[in-house]
Amino acid sequence: MKHGYQKVWNRNFYYFRKTWLVTAFWTILEPLMYLGAFGYGVGSFINNVDGIAYVDFFFPGLLCTTALLVSYFESTYTNYTKLTHQKLYSSWLLTPLGPKDIIVGEILWGATKGFIGSLGVLIISTIFGLVKTWLFIPALVVVFILAFIFACVGMIFTSYAKNYDSFIFSSSGILIPMTLISGTYFPIDSLYIVLKIVAYAFPLAHAVDIVRGFMTGQAKVIYLFQILYLILFAGILLRFAIFRLKKKLIS
Amino acid sequence: MGASTVVHIKNMVKKYGDFSAIDNISLEIAKGECFGILGPNGAGKSTLMRVMYGSSQITSGEVFILGLNVKQYMSEIKSRVGVVPQEDGLDTDLSVIENLLIYGSFYNLDKKTISDRADFLLRLIKMEDRTDRAVETLSGGLKRRLAIARGLINEPDILFLDEPTTGLDPQARQWIWDFFKSLKQQKSTLILTTHYMEEAEYLCDRVAIVDHGKILALGKPSDMIREMIGYEVIEFDCSAKDLNYYVEKVKSQNFDYQVYHQTIHVFLKEHQLAKEVIQHFSSDRVVIRRPSLNDVFLRLSGVQLRDHQ
Repeated sequence: MKHGYQKVWNRNFYYFRKTWLVTAFWTILEPLMYLGAFGYGVGSFINNVDGIAYVDFFFPGLLCTTALLVSYFESTYTNYTKLTHQKLYSSWLLTPLGPKDIIVGEILWGATKGFIGSLGVLIISTIFGLVKTWLFIPALVVVFILAFIFACVGMIFTSYAKNYDSFIFSSSGILIPMTLISGTYFPIDSLYIVLKIVAYAFPLAHAVDIVRGFMTGQAKVIYLFQILYLILFAGILLRFAIFRLKKKLIS
Repeated sequence: MGASTVVHIKNMVKKYGDFSAIDNISLEIAKGECFGILGPNGAGKSTLMRVMYGSSQITSGEVFILGLNVKQYMSEIKSRVGVVPQEDGLDTDLSVIENLLIYGSFYNLDKKTISDRADFLLRLIKMEDRTDRAVETLSGGLKRRLAIARGLINEPDILFLDEPTTGLDPQARQWIWDFFKSLKQQKSTLILTTHYMEEAEYLCDRVAIVDHGKILALGKPSDMIREMIGYEVIEFDCSAKDLNYYVEKVKSQNFDYQVYHQTIHVFLKEHQLAKEVIQHFSSDRVVIRRPSLNDVFLRLSGVQLRDHQ
């Protein structure tokens, strides 16, 4: 017998299979445009960053931000629509599915979709020779954890949102600044010390560190601690997301 | 409680903060009944329903559905009842048939059972030629039909319907009424809320008239009307200054009556004749009509049901 959260995940996967083309357009094609513009375009003016070509420096960051943004948007706009306009969660609660099944299923799905986006970018990028090591496999695991974290973040924002505009504060106020300072476009070391500390308080900087390390063929011991930090982050956010959404779903 | 009791509510209270949405209600509903909960908006109808189908927790009292305590067996109850919510809540990302299949997958049923059941239900609601239509493109009436089919996907022991015909055009409403009649013939247990008195009278074996979280009256619609109102109602409009004069007339003849704004309602019992009343009134402002549940509601609450809408 399937768990409730699997049934919720299945519903979303079913819908994804129906609409994969349009989804692929923004989840995969858009990041690839960034890869062209920044990785190769801007990169052609830069000799190297920390001893590697700019595009090789940029690409791992792109894998992370793709996963993060896709899962975040899925958990905010899509799930807020399900919660309010479509009233899907109230319908689902009329079945044996409980609030926790729905919340966990939705978060797992958000993480999956972010992962799929990132995976798509990675697969296409092999054509450009950007995937050079089998360490891309552990890198993808980290990408999934990161996507999971931001699926939780999205769900938490959804629980506070009053309308669609509410998400502008979280995307422009938190998410975008974070993606800019987390070592995605330029090395974190070039930041002022205060910003550097801020950057490492958030999960993205760690994920970028690890994914970049793996993609350039390094496996450092410190990655283990950074991964543990990410898992801890994920655990706390998951609990908080469940706590917040449960209040919304039960009367 | 008897063996055929499917809903057993005892001294149930449901509070939201200090506000009592349900104020000490007791109620039993038998298997195979079509039971109506009638009342104005905000009376507590929907809350009462939500408690029964396991979507709202009670503050105190006892509620047993299909012999199961709602405090412990929410999930088991949900797997054995069907619900058609007021706002349909259909999955607009999916087609007609997908709505049934995906919703069915949330129950612990195997794929084959769900798909057979979905085909059967689409034939039953006469939508078998619209299986692949996007839900968004359906009319209100068809959406409601689909929501009803969805509520039946798990072959429920009780089907709950929250205002099943609200917002539908007369044709769509008639279709749904006929459909319920056929469900009733198959001895299905239906529990519905409505603020249409004619709907309750037409469909329901028994009704509970609810206002301010209390049951004001409970019974067969025809019995209620007969006992509380009578056989005919005479309505007479008059000016405020003449009201007392006419009321005195009616009173002196021992007629049962009620004054509502500037209208006198006279309730004729068996063997009372309309002409004995009418002779006292100037005839152009007199209406004689059959009594309805609305009169019962007016009698019990002092306001008309339609005033709330």
